[in-house]
Amino acid sequence: MQYVIDYLGAAILGAALLLIINAANDAASENNSLYNGDMLVQEMLVNSAYLLEGELRNMGAGVGENKPTILLADTSEIRFVYDIGLDGIVDTVYYAMGLTSELPGTQNELDRPLYRRVNLEQPLSVGAVTVFNLKYLTKLGEVLATPVDAARLTEIHTVEITMEVQNPYAILRSPGMVRAGERNALYSSSLWQQTRLASQNMKR
Amino acid sequence: MGGKAALIVVVGFSVLLGFVSRNLSLVATRAQGNMSTYTASTISHNLAVMGANVALSRLYQDTTWRGTQTQSLGGTLSGEFTYSVTNMPSGSPVVRSVSLVQAPDEVMQDTVVVLFGSTSYQSFTLFAWMTNIEGNIWWITGDTVWGRVHSNSTLNMTGSPTFMEKVTTTKGLNPTWGTGGNTAVFKEGYETGVATINFPTDLSQIASAATAGGRAYTGDVTVTLNGGTATDNDGYALVYSGGVLVDSIMMNDATFNGVIGSTGKVSISGTLDGRLSIFSTTSLYLTDDILYENRTSGSNDVLGLVAENSILIADNVPNHTDMYIDASIFVRSGSYGAENYSSGTPRGNVYLNGSIVQNKRGAVGTFSGSTVSTGYLKRYHYDLRLSDPLFRPPSYPGFYVTSYPVATWWESLHFPKFN
Repeated sequence: MQYVIDYLGAAILGAALLLIINAANDAASENNSLYNGDMLVQEMLVNSAYLLEGELRNMGAGVGENKPTILLADTSEIRFVYDIGLDGIVDTVYYAMGLTSELPGTQNELDRPLYRRVNLEQPLSVGAVTVFNLKYLTKLGEVLATPVDAARLTEIHTVEITMEVQNPYAILRSPGMVRAGERNALYSSSLWQQTRLASQNMKR
Repeated sequence: MGGKAALIVVVGFSVLLGFVSRNLSLVATRAQGNMSTYTASTISHNLAVMGANVALSRLYQDTTWRGTQTQSLGGTLSGEFTYSVTNMPSGSPVVRSVSLVQAPDEVMQDTVVVLFGSTSYQSFTLFAWMTNIEGNIWWITGDTVWGRVHSNSTLNMTGSPTFMEKVTTTKGLNPTWGTGGNTAVFKEGYETGVATINFPTDLSQIASAATAGGRAYTGDVTVTLNGGTATDNDGYALVYSGGVLVDSIMMNDATFNGVIGSTGKVSISGTLDGRLSIFSTTSLYLTDDILYENRTSGSNDVLGLVAENSILIADNVPNHTDMYIDASIFVRSGSYGAENYSSGTPRGNVYLNGSIVQNKRGAVGTFSGSTVSTGYLKRYHYDLRLSDPLFRPPSYPGFYVTSYPVATWWESLHFPKFN
């Protein structure tokens, strides 16, 4: 009889311990995913922002004084010129946001590739973004309507960039937690905004 | 048996949980590391920009400085930058600034390169009045100048002469403003200690224009300008040598580049309808009024008078009752003034519409207080059309502006290496 009680007790304690460990494992995995996802988003955003910010700061470098610097300025695309390698050859750089259908492999249905194209080379994806918004301002702070009219491209003095990156991989929620209009999954996200980016070469 | 199993279970789960805990800790550490890397990267960029600005400041203070300098910073912007100013093969300076920052896992470097535009060529007609040497002549109450004024020497002032545009001088005002009776009125301010604006070393540029597309003579000649009919740009110039007509030049002749020159004294008078520069490697002599046919602000008539030694208002009967000059005057090594200005009776006013640039300030009269004793009273007006850098007499002398305008500001692209 004593053995039976010992076995039953051990089984109950063992089962309880397994349940606790299972719950702890779930929590640890979820936290691990969250932290990893946050870091992934952070790194994706910073890399894209660095490239974009660096290139926009150089807009017009090596370009003659009375020659156009920005060739196309729209809400989610921009084409400008500068001498990338400072080798005396002026290059044309183009940034644009792709379509959501171009990233079918990710769980996030909102992310799109951010393309960078130099001269006539093949466009390269330099990141995945969910928001890529450009605003153009004149020296007097007037916000130019997009796409900016060709006659007013030379008036652009500063560019405001807003960029959001979301985790391509979701943290799924149980159906009971999803309210009307909400997405069925959570995505960590990070927003970056450069409100007054003025190239030194645009100030002259 | 049961005790051993329990021990294995406890140790096993401890290892498992320890592993999970380590992973979480690593993620947190990496996020922190990324933040540090990002901060270091920003500092690196800011230091490089700072170095470029320091170099620019140094270059603008001393345009001849060339060299390399390293500066270390502590505190928030911990790191260093090295800036250098070197010469490009063209002789134009180039500024390079490189930062150095120790990030947690790497040494970061950013580079900023600044290139300058070529020096620009400006016409002397941009100045209403300019001298290399003012001498002992003073600006006094009643003198009013419209247009920019510059002297490579000291401007002497007493009372309240009025300057409607900016005044610049290399050596300052005498006495300094507000002292010793200097109450000059500067409507657009003044600046002292500015860089010398060098005169050309000779008049070869305009002389070449006279021989290539213009008219070049030797010896003394007389140029009589005629406005032609009321039609625009149909004026002509008659050139005499020893009293004999030697040339007739239509201002609208497409093969004529607008420059007439001679190696001797050139006497000038008449009315101009067109664009013309007259120069002499010795002196110009203004024997009567020189006027534009169209004297309104919408006129396209423009005349440049350029001489090596002097431009003088002749002491003759036509000039004894006022003198009208519509022209820009440039005397490279001498002065503009009136012949025998210190003798005879007063001759009225000199009404000049244009600009005056001369090596040494000359005189047109003598005064007792504000009353003219001999020669002329000055009534000088700057021809506002000349403030447009593109509007100038043909081949008129100019100077190079060495202001080093920034033409290119280039920054290296830096990508932080995340963990």
